Amino acid sequence: MKFSLFIFCFISALNYAPAQNRTIEVCAKDCEFSSIQKAVNQAQANDSIFIQKGIYKEHNIFINKKSLHLYGEEGSVIDSEYKGYGFKVEATDFSITDLTIKNIEVSYTSDYAAIYLFRCFDFKLKNITLRNAFFGFLIEKSRNGFVLQNDISGTGDSEASSGNAIHLWDSKEIEVRDNHVYNMRDGIYIEFGSNNIFDNNDSHDNMRYGLHFMFSNDNRYSNNSFRNNSAGVAVMFSKRIVMYNNVFKKNWGTASYGLLLKEINDAEIYNNTFEDNTVGITTDGSTRITYRENDFINNGYAVIFIGGSYQNNFIKNNFLYNNFDLSYSGGLNDNSFDNNFWSDYTGYDLDKDGYGDVPYRPVKLFSYLVNNTPESIILLRSLFIDIINFSEKVTPIFTPENLTDQNPLMRKVQW
Amino acid sequence: MNKYIILTFIFISITACDKSAKPINYGEDQCDFCSMGIVQKTHAAQLVTEKGKQHKFDAIECMVNFVKDKSGKFNNATLLVVNYNQPGKMILAESASYLISKNLPSPMGAYLTAFASVSDAEAAQEKLKGEIYQWDNLKKVIKKDIHKIH
Repeated sequence: MKFSLFIFCFISALNYAPAQNRTIEVCAKDCEFSSIQKAVNQAQANDSIFIQKGIYKEHNIFINKKSLHLYGEEGSVIDSEYKGYGFKVEATDFSITDLTIKNIEVSYTSDYAAIYLFRCFDFKLKNITLRNAFFGFLIEKSRNGFVLQNDISGTGDSEASSGNAIHLWDSKEIEVRDNHVYNMRDGIYIEFGSNNIFDNNDSHDNMRYGLHFMFSNDNRYSNNSFRNNSAGVAVMFSKRIVMYNNVFKKNWGTASYGLLLKEINDAEIYNNTFEDNTVGITTDGSTRITYRENDFINNGYAVIFIGGSYQNNFIKNNFLYNNFDLSYSGGLNDNSFDNNFWSDYTGYDLDKDGYGDVPYRPVKLFSYLVNNTPESIILLRSLFIDIINFSEKVTPIFTPENLTDQNPLMRKVQW
Repeated sequence: MNKYIILTFIFISITACDKSAKPINYGEDQCDFCSMGIVQKTHAAQLVTEKGKQHKFDAIECMVNFVKDKSGKFNNATLLVVNYNQPGKMILAESASYLISKNLPSPMGAYLTAFASVSDAEAAQEKLKGEIYQWDNLKKVIKKDIHKIH
């Protein structure tokens, strides 16, 4: 009994402790502070700083090893006036929420960001609006953070003069959710980062990639939408990336993809939609990847294989109305295609088991022609090409013998 | 009349063999080694073969690996790298000095940056630390899987 009383007192004491932390107010006049930097300098650890409505012309606001919670309200705007960073933070257990930051300096040689985090742990960046950002959030050597519900856009002038909206460098265990990023170089970029989660973000009209992984293992991204980027997502030199429930749409252009895989392995790609892209997926030197229950709709090419891509499995995908389902350079392979639905399949199912009785060959002879002579694309939809493709179907010479779907589905996969 | 024909021929023969480096279209061109879009004016590189074929790279390490992959093929090619102190301006790769510093990331993870002169590189080295290399020994240092060192 005595012991539980002690516990009770102890817990109540814990609960009362934070009440001693102050909330410091910052506003244009009649407040304790009119400058955010001065408020930060005066604050004690665990204090909150409330930034009232108004425009604050400040830059390089430095939070050095202090656990603070900065928050604003609608109309709290920090204008950096194109001078350096917005915030520079090196701290543990802190948050910045409900603010607008605008006009970040553009530079070729320095990565100025609206909020720059270095060695930060247990942090939260939420509900922040960035306008005319060069880099949005630049997060280096940090862990255990949340980046939630932010709206980030750049000037969208040219690719070289814009930075990335959310840039993680050498950072781990960070959740990036519900963000809206557009008119930047890359929407979200991860270099040397592991165990991060990217969920439900909307990344569009970016000049390079919607989402970009470099040298980053064990990450996952899901429920995101990538539209109108020069390329939807690029996953490069990374292992064990899980990708599901994403939509890759309208990534058009001569050098454009829905998804680019370069030198990656052991990935899982399922329940994604690739629609209206020049190329749905380009896979270059990527091995042991499972593609399951994806929709490839109305793309120029659904999937292009270049370089050595081995031991990839395509199971239960829908290939619907693509100009080419597959393009393949290189000879023999040990990639497998099984139980997919192909809208171009013209076979029959006499025994009514749901699977076509003749195998489907996803590579058309014409795609070889286009590979070697891109100009020949002008012949697409001509009778001549139909005849060539038909003759190849009857007596396959060019397509590798084992590159067939032995059990093509007669109905679309429902997933 | 004859004069014009000769002039035309001279004009064609001059323009047809244009072996100069064509400017990189930042934001549109792709790296010929790693397929990534070229955006950084501080780290791009370029190779022009003796026949005038252009190869463009988003990072110097990509060009180093590209040349190494096809050893001997590009012996007479013009190799160019961007001068870090004048973003977008190309200089000859052989005459440039290179800094590898963990404090100055490059697009493909080799931390490799080019400078017009040794003194420029040394000035940067003073601030950023790291090692200075010349083109010839760079080929030994840069390996294809350089990022695995990280």
